[in-house]
Amino acid sequence: MSEGWLSLLQQAFSLLLSFDHDVWSIINISFSVSFAALLITLIPSLALGFVLAFTQFRGRWLVTNLVQTLQSIPTVVIGLLVYLLLTRNGVLGDLKWLFTQKGMILGQMLICAPVLIALSQAAFSSVDRRAWETARTLGVAWPKAVYVLCRELRVPLLLAVIAAFSRILTEVGCSMMVGGNIMNVTRNIPTAIALETSKGDFAQAIALGLVLLILALILNFTLGTLRGKAVPRSH
Amino acid sequence: MANSNIACIIAEHVTMHFDGKMLFSVQHLSFSQADVIYLQGDNGSGKSTLMKLLAGLSIASEGSITAHGFEKSHWWRKDGLVGKALYLHQHPYLFDGSVKYNLTFAAKQASKNKQLLTKRVEQAIEMAQLGHLLDNSASNLSGGERQRLAMARAWIIQPTLLMLDEPTSNMDKPSQLLVLDMIKQLKEEGTGLLLSSHQACGLTSLCNKHWFITNKQIKVSDDAPHNSDQTLLTTMELNYAN
Repeated sequence: MSEGWLSLLQQAFSLLLSFDHDVWSIINISFSVSFAALLITLIPSLALGFVLAFTQFRGRWLVTNLVQTLQSIPTVVIGLLVYLLLTRNGVLGDLKWLFTQKGMILGQMLICAPVLIALSQAAFSSVDRRAWETARTLGVAWPKAVYVLCRELRVPLLLAVIAAFSRILTEVGCSMMVGGNIMNVTRNIPTAIALETSKGDFAQAIALGLVLLILALILNFTLGTLRGKAVPRSH
Repeated sequence: MANSNIACIIAEHVTMHFDGKMLFSVQHLSFSQADVIYLQGDNGSGKSTLMKLLAGLSIASEGSITAHGFEKSHWWRKDGLVGKALYLHQHPYLFDGSVKYNLTFAAKQASKNKQLLTKRVEQAIEMAQLGHLLDNSASNLSGGERQRLAMARAWIIQPTLLMLDEPTSNMDKPSQLLVLDMIKQLKEEGTGLLLSSHQACGLTSLCNKHWFITNKQIKVSDDAPHNSDQTLLTTMELNYAN
């Protein structure tokens, strides 16, 4: 690497600030795919987290442990699974989603859901049961009582959302396998960084890395501010 | 059998088990709007559990608990017992937010017109003497203030039936008097009351019925408990008397 770090950083900032089409197309794809996956998964995952925390049913132990296990499966393995599902001869082959953003969204949903379910289950399990009982006995219908609980648990639930979003926005294995890294179609930040680094084009890789770094800073500072306000309280 | 004009909750052949052991059982219990019941029992005898059963917050191991004479709720709110009898925890839970938020939360659940509701919230604030605390975080209140706020929340809703679990514990005398006033007014407005207390207090003198949990059975007495040493009888003493 003959170029100095300073020069590379200058080029990276220049790419970002000049709204370089290729760089911003990659950023746009990355965020739109990950937001879509998060939005589709959010409500069902929180609902399942609530059910696992608040109800006793046969198989609860099994479901809880399966969800925990799915959290730690490498994204490349999930990518392989989704690839096999979406390939021409796969179960979902007729959808023709392989190497499309829809396929990437499906893959990221499978990565995102276990994180959301497990962390929301942990959050709901930690809530004071009297919060639920108080809302219900005051006459709140159960769907709104769930909302009341979510409000009481907004910090740990937001933490779950940020953790899940961070995981899908930065994963490379699944996006590479299912998306195929096609420019202006399925190339997102992590796959672009991997590609540009292998080509030796560090400026674009650094520019995209900076976007992830800035996002991580924003998310963590936001969370830190919220945490700061959420001092332990007596009930 | 229940009078169809007044709202009541009836428990039939109810048994409650906890960790595989029987907590209590009862053949028949009726809690109606006309009642002011004093519930007594030793620690761990199941007083709170019984109240939660009647509030629909827990499910009985055996038997049935049904509500009669209540206004029909909307079809999308078929909740059975929940919300029919309001249960106030011994250590009330206050929602994260200000005192005002907690009072407004209750007001949103009450089925009254907006004008009446605003007036009732103002009255509740005055009766519970919470005016100077409205913008304070509920989590910073003292034990007595918390109970006054919880009582004010219940008072705003003006429930048909109200169950109070040790309502005056953690309270100094002035707070007890404030709460007593609110409870008396609810009674005058037609709210049926079920209250548990270890100590004889101003509340026990309101009672016209007496339930004892003794030897895992709930015994019902239609005699009003006297606001005297009798209300301080322990289960052992009651057994001895029987």
